[in-house]
Amino acid sequence: MAGKEKPENGKLKVGFYNVTGCAGCLLSVIYTEGDFLEFSQQVDIVSFPFIKEKNDDEQELDVAFIEGVVVTKADEETVKKIRERSKMVVALGACAHLGNIPALAKMKKSEDLEYLKYKKEDFNMDREGGPAPLHTLIKIDYTLPGCPPDRDEIRQFMKYLLLGKTFRNYNDPVCVECKLRNNGCLLDQGKICLGPIIAGGCKAVCPSGGLKCYGCRGFVQGIDKEFDGYFRIMEDKGFSLDDVKRALETFMAIDAHKVLDEKFAQYQLNRKAREESYE
Amino acid sequence: MEKINLNHITKIEGHARLSMKVEDGQLQQCELGSIEGSRYFEGLLKGRRWYDAPEITSRICGICSTAHGICSVMAMEKALDIEPSKQTLILRELQNLGERFRSHATHLYFLALPDYLGYESALSMAPRYKKEIERALRLVKLGNDLTEAISGRVMHQVATTIGGFTHFPTQDQLDTFKELLIAAEDDIQETARLFASLPNPHFEREVPSFSVVRDDSYAFCYGDIKIGEKVFKQENYADILKEYHESYSNANFVVIDGKDYYVGALARVNNNYDKLHPKAKAFLEAIKFKVPCFNPYLNNLAQAVELIHHRESAIELLNDFKVQHEELVKPDVKAGKGIAANEAPRGTLWHEYEIDDNGIITHANIVTPTAQALLNMEKDIKVMTQKLLDEKAPKDDIVMEIEKLIRNYDPCFSCATHFLEVDWDEK
Repeated sequence: MAGKEKPENGKLKVGFYNVTGCAGCLLSVIYTEGDFLEFSQQVDIVSFPFIKEKNDDEQELDVAFIEGVVVTKADEETVKKIRERSKMVVALGACAHLGNIPALAKMKKSEDLEYLKYKKEDFNMDREGGPAPLHTLIKIDYTLPGCPPDRDEIRQFMKYLLLGKTFRNYNDPVCVECKLRNNGCLLDQGKICLGPIIAGGCKAVCPSGGLKCYGCRGFVQGIDKEFDGYFRIMEDKGFSLDDVKRALETFMAIDAHKVLDEKFAQYQLNRKAREESYE
Repeated sequence: MEKINLNHITKIEGHARLSMKVEDGQLQQCELGSIEGSRYFEGLLKGRRWYDAPEITSRICGICSTAHGICSVMAMEKALDIEPSKQTLILRELQNLGERFRSHATHLYFLALPDYLGYESALSMAPRYKKEIERALRLVKLGNDLTEAISGRVMHQVATTIGGFTHFPTQDQLDTFKELLIAAEDDIQETARLFASLPNPHFEREVPSFSVVRDDSYAFCYGDIKIGEKVFKQENYADILKEYHESYSNANFVVIDGKDYYVGALARVNNNYDKLHPKAKAFLEAIKFKVPCFNPYLNNLAQAVELIHHRESAIELLNDFKVQHEELVKPDVKAGKGIAANEAPRGTLWHEYEIDDNGIITHANIVTPTAQALLNMEKDIKVMTQKLLDEKAPKDDIVMEIEKLIRNYDPCFSCATHFLEVDWDEK
């Protein structure tokens, strides 16, 4: 529950951190423009190395926001230490949430990654096991999904923290907001849009701009039937399971293949059962 | 040997480390490098389809996602022999302008200014300097809104793609921006006056300025490259720029003729002074600013002057521009190679791709502004540190000055964990 940890006296102690990433999520916080400034005055910003020189890395925190994916040994140590001293940890953005594009490295051979170009044996900082989203290493209390995270959602989260209200993630497919915006369906245009199986809350910003949904906010939770329908549509449109995998692995390399293989196997069973029931 | 470690020097984009060793008042060693986690973007692109490149590469950086996105689109268009329309070029320029407004405003007010006013952050400055912070936020918002209107999202573009745009701003939106830009004159003039009034050390080290240039305008992209007095074609970049690796850095170093060079706002002002809008020029003349300028501390002022120039150039672009729906130029997919340069807020950015007959990416190379600035920064730090050591400056003052110097480059150490560790060994 956001806000449960709010101290009776004094302000919430908040930290903003990032491990390997692009700084876009922290910038999205700053790009809430005046709202972040207002928030910063209502809480105690204990640490925010991106914009602050004096950062307390020992003090206990009520809330820690972490951007980025865990790539180096130092990253791993950093997130574990933050977890130890924080009552609430928020995974900020798709790298922290899903591993995002950097996690694609897990699917590549090392020679493809041009290790030699960057690496000498004496200077390999990468952790073993490759890039990892936060939840695989530490407990996460809340997630602000997306690449980049939606600024209005960040605003709402900051507001709920101050009010002590419980924040819940949007859990309808991207298609819901897409329809509300009166967009034509990209699947009908022959594009492998992932909207039907991906959680919205992004205002369907990509399909509204003519770009297919790449799945940066993760799967909608508890939607087995939608997967079934989705595979049926994809087959109708002439796309293969591999096509869907390739689209999905961009942001969800960690889970994409495993989840799709499982769901697709289930879909085939369901289809067989359906066909048999017609006979 | 006395060993002093200073950690958590902050307010830069990226995760970098500076190690210095001092013996008997002489700087013996100075190594500046990125210790950012490698994300291997070039490797990740291999095997992907040609149209995946802009979506993937815009994620290299949150603060210059437009620079990457557009550079990627341009390089892939060259590989596919696509000629973008006139309207496409105008919209791309507007999107680049939007990013430059918000990036410069963020750097100037949130990362650089607190050093000059004696505050640890813009947040702690806010109570006393409310007016300045509000001005910064207005400029950031202007840039954000413009970027969002053109590209479909505040960062990591949606509508900007290979062959054109998949979505267009309305004419009403563009007309509103013209009004907003006209109204931003005071904010931008105040910004330039503020940064011209800040004291900077007299520090000069002559290195050639490097940027895109054009005959007809203060260039973003689509031009030749000028370094010092030499001009070369973008296509020849691999013969001119040489990348090399140092064991202490996760970012490559880049040299030309074995030497460092200067990229970013000051380099652009040096190379394009004649193309600046008269108002920007008048401002520089009034403060008796001489080009070429070799004082890296004045990169901040150059960014502020670019704001004056770009506000005018954006209004001029919008003056007789009527946006209309255009279909994407569709490629005839075949094997090819494309190279493009784009001026990111902090310097020249390069994307290079090779694709095969099926449109699969077989090679990618990306050279960022900060990689090109790294050696120049390291050398400036050496000279500045020795100067301060000779003046018997206290260690704390030296470190503060060096941090300030580094921030003035507006570096972007692949934009992640944002602190610079200084290892200081003193005998």
